Amino acid sequence: MEFALSEDQRMFRNMFRDFAAKEIAPRAEEIDHEETLPQDILRKAANQGFLGATLPEKYFGAELDGVSYAMLIEALAGACVSVALTVATHVSLVAMSILEHGTDAQKDEWLEAMAAGEVIGAFALTEPEAGSDGQAIATRATPDGDDVLLNGVKVWVGNGEIAGLFLVFAKGPEGIDAYLVPRDAPGLTVGYREPTLGLRSMFFNTVYLEDCQVPSANRLGGAGEGWTVAQKALDRFAIAVAAAGLGVAADAVDVAAQFATERVQFGVPIAKKQAIQNYIAEAHIEVEALRYLVYRTAWLADQGRDFSAEASVVKAFGARVARNVTNRMVQVMGGYGFMEDYPMARKYRDARMLGLVGGPTELHYVRVAQHIFAERDLEITP
Amino acid sequence: MRVIVLMGRVLDPRGIVVNRRRGRIFVNVEEYIIQPADRCALEVALRVKDATGAEVVALPRGPLPDDDVLRQALATGADRAIYLTADKPYDDGAWTKVLVAAVERLGGADLILTGATTLDTGQGQLGPRLAEALGWPQVVDAWSAEVADGKVRAVLHRGGEYVAVEANLPAVVTVQPGAVKPRYPDGVRLINVYRGVGEVAEALETWPVADLVEVESLKPLLERRGQDFPPERERSVRLTGTVEEMARAAADALRERL
Amino acid sequence: MDFTFSPEHQALRRMIREFAENEVAPLAAEIDREHRVPIETMRKLGEIGLLGVCFPQEYGGMGAGETGYCILMEELGRICTSTATNVGAHIGIGAMAIYLDGNEEQKRKYLTPLARGEKIAAFGLTEANAGSDAANIRTRAVREGDSWILDGGKVFITNGGYADIVTVLAVTDPALGPRGGITAFIVETQWEGFKVAREEDKMGIRGTSTAELVFEELRVPHENVLGKVGEGFVTFMKALDMGRLTLGAACLGGAQAALEWAIRWAKTRNQFGVALAHKQSVQWMIANMATEIEALRSLVYRVAWLVDTGRPFSQLAAMCKMYGSEVASRAIDMALQIHGGLGVTRDFPIERAFRDARIAEIFEGTNEIQRIVIAANIFRQHGVRIRP
Repeated sequence: MEFALSEDQRMFRNMFRDFAAKEIAPRAEEIDHEETLPQDILRKAANQGFLGATLPEKYFGAELDGVSYAMLIEALAGACVSVALTVATHVSLVAMSILEHGTDAQKDEWLEAMAAGEVIGAFALTEPEAGSDGQAIATRATPDGDDVLLNGVKVWVGNGEIAGLFLVFAKGPEGIDAYLVPRDAPGLTVGYREPTLGLRSMFFNTVYLEDCQVPSANRLGGAGEGWTVAQKALDRFAIAVAAAGLGVAADAVDVAAQFATERVQFGVPIAKKQAIQNYIAEAHIEVEALRYLVYRTAWLADQGRDFSAEASVVKAFGARVARNVTNRMVQVMGGYGFMEDYPMARKYRDARMLGLVGGPTELHYVRVAQHIFAERDLEITP
Repeated sequence: MRVIVLMGRVLDPRGIVVNRRRGRIFVNVEEYIIQPADRCALEVALRVKDATGAEVVALPRGPLPDDDVLRQALATGADRAIYLTADKPYDDGAWTKVLVAAVERLGGADLILTGATTLDTGQGQLGPRLAEALGWPQVVDAWSAEVADGKVRAVLHRGGEYVAVEANLPAVVTVQPGAVKPRYPDGVRLINVYRGVGEVAEALETWPVADLVEVESLKPLLERRGQDFPPERERSVRLTGTVEEMARAAADALRERL
Repeated sequence: MDFTFSPEHQALRRMIREFAENEVAPLAAEIDREHRVPIETMRKLGEIGLLGVCFPQEYGGMGAGETGYCILMEELGRICTSTATNVGAHIGIGAMAIYLDGNEEQKRKYLTPLARGEKIAAFGLTEANAGSDAANIRTRAVREGDSWILDGGKVFITNGGYADIVTVLAVTDPALGPRGGITAFIVETQWEGFKVAREEDKMGIRGTSTAELVFEELRVPHENVLGKVGEGFVTFMKALDMGRLTLGAACLGGAQAALEWAIRWAKTRNQFGVALAHKQSVQWMIANMATEIEALRSLVYRVAWLVDTGRPFSQLAAMCKMYGSEVASRAIDMALQIHGGLGVTRDFPIERAFRDARIAEIFEGTNEIQRIVIAANIFRQHGVRIRP
């Protein structure tokens, strides 16, 4: 077993942290309050190669290994979870799906532009009546000559407002299909943006598909293979969400520990109080446990095996750690933890979203249980 | 001037769940509220009081197991309340006789207000029956009412139009639910009337029905044989297809019902 | 033992619930969005007597006792945490200090308009370096003839931005500290030298005012000393005890609302072919919420009864605040989880409730301080003295 980071990984990590500290952290409060993600942040991220983080060099990607990619998301989330998940949606959910399931033509058409940040990817799976239950998808894909017509409504489409390419899931004649739908496809409308508790600099939109016409050649993967495409994308995304949880939790501990050394009550810094020590220590332990679980799962994913059970494990744990740790760090900061002029309130709001984005924790529990009981030859349905 | 308000109570519908499949009504929270229309009638009475200085007297619109409704009327601003204690349930026909006797014992009244309908039984008989028994004019389903120059002027709200009417006093006026926004009780009066202290508590009197009328003469108009549910409403349908298809289907469905 | 509410309290709850649903609920989302104090709600509450719910009728109150006050806070907490917070800061600690230790004249002059909602009160305790360590305040009051001159400031003062009257704690004898050296004053905010320095931008309870107050040579007449000179700390701690109980009551209402939302959604929402109510993950959440809420309800009204019957209650009030805030946070967290996306969008009330709930674990004495108070009480009974 080797737990040390490689020379490259250490170098990458420092670069990610520098970028987050310099380009994102100073603006995190402002962009959260304004509920926007300025284009220049994404452009700078693209210049660093982050928007093609795990894509091959052939497509001008940075060709990062899984652990380095997790460290990228972790570092971005430490400054701003919205930016981290915008990147993760773009890379893990969309670009990597194209790399894994796409034809050469599809890869050539999209991946270079995505790595360059000229096209941002959005993931359109959830529907009003199909949240965790993907099989309940009602959006239809109807063949029409060389084209298909997509009809339906997608909600909570991550990156919707800023996307140039939508990965849309719809029910076709042979099951669920995945389609690459450019933003300018006729019949695609980006609508309502959800005003959210946290992740306020990320965009979640409703997307309407009304006789939305795309060439059949835009289908990603085989006919009826859309559900597999979605599941694999969500597995990759699960690790990224956990990495974001790690980033926000670790930074919260940092901020709160610093506060605890400076805040004096009863004549001493509150860091000298056992209750505060316990909060910080417990949080640190959870963060360290999560850190190695995230890295290990990211490494595992690189080994080319199915990692869906492990992805659910790390997602559920990551969301829980992020929520619990930020919650306790708010408490360390007392009234200051509740004020929006300090970063902790935002971290707490953002962290809470991680238990829902990428599938609610309860669903991931079911999937972990499915895995455990499958080994005992017992089928579990959600 | 004296204004009488007739008030009753009803189970709070929020505590009730109707299970059609089992043919049962589940009372999860047994809490009673004033009949919403009667509460509006009280509000109209209090506005008459605000405008003219009239005395407002609250009476039960039927037999009540306790005086809660009357205490609430006092807390909300009624000057007097009389709890008519009955030994058994009487329907609107029988209760009308009780009320006629009570009005007489009170020394008459200029205006009697009550709800136009009840939330539970949906009956609206009490007002018209009482007006008939007293030989007074009646105004039914008022949306608003005010008193001036020995007359009551009311606006009715029926079938989408408003109709202004007036009647000579004394008169009976029934008020629609939702016609006016009832005021809240006054906190101090509320506490005192329930605690039984102060003037507001003394304003609550109890008159046994048997002292007013020969109870043997009170015969029910109707005999209750059982209960059933109203026919089930048509279930809603989900429209599918393109926006045009859905719009067309909705338009067709509406046209069918016209 | 009798666990039923008296008819007067049942009628009071009915009245308050109707008021909250009709007058408070329609504003709840708006005041959060616009970061605005619903002063009109305070006036309406005052007009029908509710802002004097626990004060004697001779001072414009209702005389419904602490039980009545807890009912008010529970029902408001169920609908809008901001409104409950405004009312709590006004009655529960601001006016309460005057009621507890004010003299007859002060009660007539100040408590009466406060009970009627004609004036609004705030409680001026916390300072930048005196949060949990309340005895560490630095605001100074110096005697000058028939007056006291106040210099200093307060932070995080609920109602501070719009209050007419603030009870202020200041050091009158630095040598004595909290035992004899700290005095409470009744300050009118219109007086020269009183300034609202800033309004905080908060994560939740955005329908409240949390202000920083500054006093510069603020002249307070001697007759506005609240209680005895040097004994202000005790007055303030007594008021906080009452505040803690009713904060627990507000949390009870918040938790109850979360449970009601969760049940409604679990019945409605279908996933994997069945209503969420059929999923054991959801059943567990509902069962846990309901159990904790029942335990909290018993605790809150038992402590209210202790207060109303003149028994000691300080330690149990700390438990109300601590347990109540944590029950509410957990309940709302679970309701949010059950709602999925609808739980985190600002178009539905749970998102606001989630942000609002978080403050209750912090203000009016952080839950850490409550634990210290509780433990100190317990150890004192066993002969051990605890310092925070």
